[in-house]
Amino acid sequence: MDEQLITLDAAEATTHYEKSKPGGYGSLRRMSAIARNTFREAVRDRVLYNLVLFVLLLTAASIFIGELSGGQERKVIVDLGLSTMLLFGMFIAIFVGVGLVYKEIERRTVYAVFSKPVGRGEFLVGKYLGLCLTLLVNVLVMGVGVSLALLYVSRGWDPLIPTIWPAVLLIYMELMLLTAIALLFSSFSSPALSALLTFLTFVIGHFSADLKTLAVSMGSTGARWFFTGLYYVLPNLSNYSFITPAAHGRTPATGFVLATAFYALVYITVILAAATLIFSRRNFK
Amino acid sequence: MNNERLKSITLGLVVVVGLGCVVLLVRWTDKLRPPVDTDVIDESLYLSDKTSRRISLAFNGLAADWYWMRSLQYVGKKIDNYEGDIRLDDLSNLNLKLLVPLLDTATTLDPEFIEPYEYAAVVLPAIDVQQAIRLTQKGINANPNAWRLYHHLGYIYWREGQYQLASETYARGAHVPGAPAWMEAMTAKLLSDGGSRSTAREIYTRMYDQSTDDQVKEMTRKHLMRLDSLDQRDGLQKVFAGYKTRTGKCPESWRELGPVLRAARIPMDQTGAPLDPSGAAYVLKAGACEVELDWRTTKVPLK
Repeated sequence: MDEQLITLDAAEATTHYEKSKPGGYGSLRRMSAIARNTFREAVRDRVLYNLVLFVLLLTAASIFIGELSGGQERKVIVDLGLSTMLLFGMFIAIFVGVGLVYKEIERRTVYAVFSKPVGRGEFLVGKYLGLCLTLLVNVLVMGVGVSLALLYVSRGWDPLIPTIWPAVLLIYMELMLLTAIALLFSSFSSPALSALLTFLTFVIGHFSADLKTLAVSMGSTGARWFFTGLYYVLPNLSNYSFITPAAHGRTPATGFVLATAFYALVYITVILAAATLIFSRRNFK
Repeated sequence: MNNERLKSITLGLVVVVGLGCVVLLVRWTDKLRPPVDTDVIDESLYLSDKTSRRISLAFNGLAADWYWMRSLQYVGKKIDNYEGDIRLDDLSNLNLKLLVPLLDTATTLDPEFIEPYEYAAVVLPAIDVQQAIRLTQKGINANPNAWRLYHHLGYIYWREGQYQLASETYARGAHVPGAPAWMEAMTAKLLSDGGSRSTAREIYTRMYDQSTDDQVKEMTRKHLMRLDSLDQRDGLQKVFAGYKTRTGKCPESWRELGPVLRAARIPMDQTGAPLDPSGAAYVLKAGACEVELDWRTTKVPLK
């Protein structure tokens, strides 16, 4: 049944491709068709079912956490909600992200797609945007869930509700970065290895400040250059961690959010370009 | 079709009956399991606060919440296991050796988390006053604009009888933007009248008003009840003195003082005995001009 659906997806997507006109606009339409199909596939694969678990978790927390937290239920709700948002999003970005290309190759649907006038870059970017759309729906619903939980525990309007949204935006940017990284790894390695490498990048990305400190403390110039290089090359994910301040009602400065958004945009462009470069050289014969 | 249905029903029954068996087996194994070593609760933390901070990645806020709730559970379990009356600001009998590392870790993970500092300021002075000062000072260093922490540090110094230091701390807190005017007033009050009952009342009233923690509120409420009771007992002593002046002897029963007590609007029970702030009747030491709390019924702390 799934196989049939995927074939239908591919057929639908290729119909879009056929209708597309050559040039920039056509390319956008082709990527948009792939993105929509990727989103539909994620929905069919029950990726969004994690929302049910999230809602259950928040509901339970809203009801019971008051007794356990010594009057700190609002802070705990925000910490728990946003941390779960990042954690679930990370799992989706990693485990769905690494399978985006692999599944298409494994099921051989990639042949049907590439037999049409679809570039490999368009295919990758389309897949990427599709998963980003899935993650966007995920974080938006979760953000609404956290807001509702706050409304419940405060028995009315809570000043933390507007302050969580900049943190949600930063989490989404981090997930977009992770998805791009997962896609890059999956363009040249197996899903298991890609998942591991992406997870390690997530971990190291949150240690980037330590990399800088390590570089400074290194005795040899070579090691100093190496760790300084790593600090600049690896994604600086700690910039996107604003969960804890958000739980205290603090919001990031607009300039900071814009800078991190620009950083994410540039980094994602670089990663997707590298992924396209590698993927273009892959031989599917 | 019938076979399929039979199969579904059988499998459904297996699930239901199996789960029932699992519940019974768990209850059985619970009975067989040796009791948990009570020392396990005091097992040292595996991770230092700094290590916890490092490995928590982006989840440091959630980890801090977890350590905070663990601190509360830790103290709560110890209180539950303790036989006898106990007050939050005097838990020295409970051997709370993990409380400092737990609160330290919670505040290292989330330095802006004010409640663990406040909890440390209330609970720790009776256990380890230096740690209480260190943790509260850590909170002030991380949150220099949190005037409530100056109030708590001042409370610790006041509790220790260091009125000069307490006054200086309140003075520093009074300069924090948004600090209430009474912080400035406390500065002078502590210097001139540090050990007085009115200073104590002021401190506990402010703590009661500011705290969001039910345990802290309960503790301060009891302190305020005790202060009220001390005031009441002073008043009763004056009544005794007046009675003795008039009659040349101390009263044998509360009934003898009925008109005076009613005139002074002191609440009384049906026997004419005045009631303490918790609603229990005071005990008159007949012929001795002395009044006491009834330790069997009162909820006012005896000391």
